[in-house]
Amino acid sequence: MQFFKKIKDVLSTLGERESSLTDEELVEQFVKTGDHEAYYEIWQRHGGYVYNLAYRITSDHHSAEEVSQEVMMQLIQKLDTFKGQSKFSSWLYRVTANASYSFLRQRKKYEKEVGLESYAPYDDNGTLMGKIMPKAWSDRPDSFLFGKESMEIIERAIGELPDSYRVVFVLRDVEGFTNVEVAETLEISVPAVKTRLHRARLALRDKISDYFMEWDKEKK
Amino acid sequence: MSVMCREVVENIIGYIESELDGETLRDLEAHLHECPECLEFVNTYKKMLEMAGKLRERSFVSPEVREKLKKVLQSKLKSSSHLET
Repeated sequence: MQFFKKIKDVLSTLGERESSLTDEELVEQFVKTGDHEAYYEIWQRHGGYVYNLAYRITSDHHSAEEVSQEVMMQLIQKLDTFKGQSKFSSWLYRVTANASYSFLRQRKKYEKEVGLESYAPYDDNGTLMGKIMPKAWSDRPDSFLFGKESMEIIERAIGELPDSYRVVFVLRDVEGFTNVEVAETLEISVPAVKTRLHRARLALRDKISDYFMEWDKEKK
Repeated sequence: MSVMCREVVENIIGYIESELDGETLRDLEAHLHECPECLEFVNTYKKMLEMAGKLRERSFVSPEVREKLKKVLQSKLKSSSHLET
């Protein structure tokens, strides 16, 4: 009974207490003593980011919840595998990215994904003539491009990329991973990362252009 | 010109990351100077990357999700081996 009272006490303070320990010290504390308060503190610091990253990669709130729970469980079981060779937050974000990607692969196991291997904005003659300028948007002010509506448009467009391209784009261009980090996290080659990134960016630029044009029509 | 549009597209990463050799860069910039379609392509491509970088600041965690995850955490920790010790 005393033990459960302790858990209750800890839970009641969740969100209120803040430790001055570093992430790495909290991890060590949890691994060595099983101190659940240390674990709560870790999750309190990084749980939001775990969810956000999972959401960006899966593009679905329900899936993001599932991935977050999976990461939560993996951490409890595998925190002792963190060797301190990188910052804990970097390690955790890679665990999350990997869990998100595994989730997508599991979900898509029996579905054939539409690829972007040959996606290109130019025509058969290799020209962009007439394909870009009608949807031009580069001269729009930053207040528009970085405003709420535009951010929602790019989020939506990213969500429409095929999973294997979206995950590379999100890790590289939203989260700022290097090509090598993306390759290691997803267990694919660096050339594969570069290829997917290139096609994802081309497709995304086109999608955003289409969305801006539609948005303009709706506003008129 | 038609060949160069394709080259702009296929070299775009090298171009914005300043990894192109001198000759390719000169040819590409000469083309950009005379092709408004490619210039707009490059400009929107760069803007898109700027916008993507800003997305990291957006959060999707609602109070409901936070509360739900807190309850899950509670239950997972209770059932974990760490708490049995």
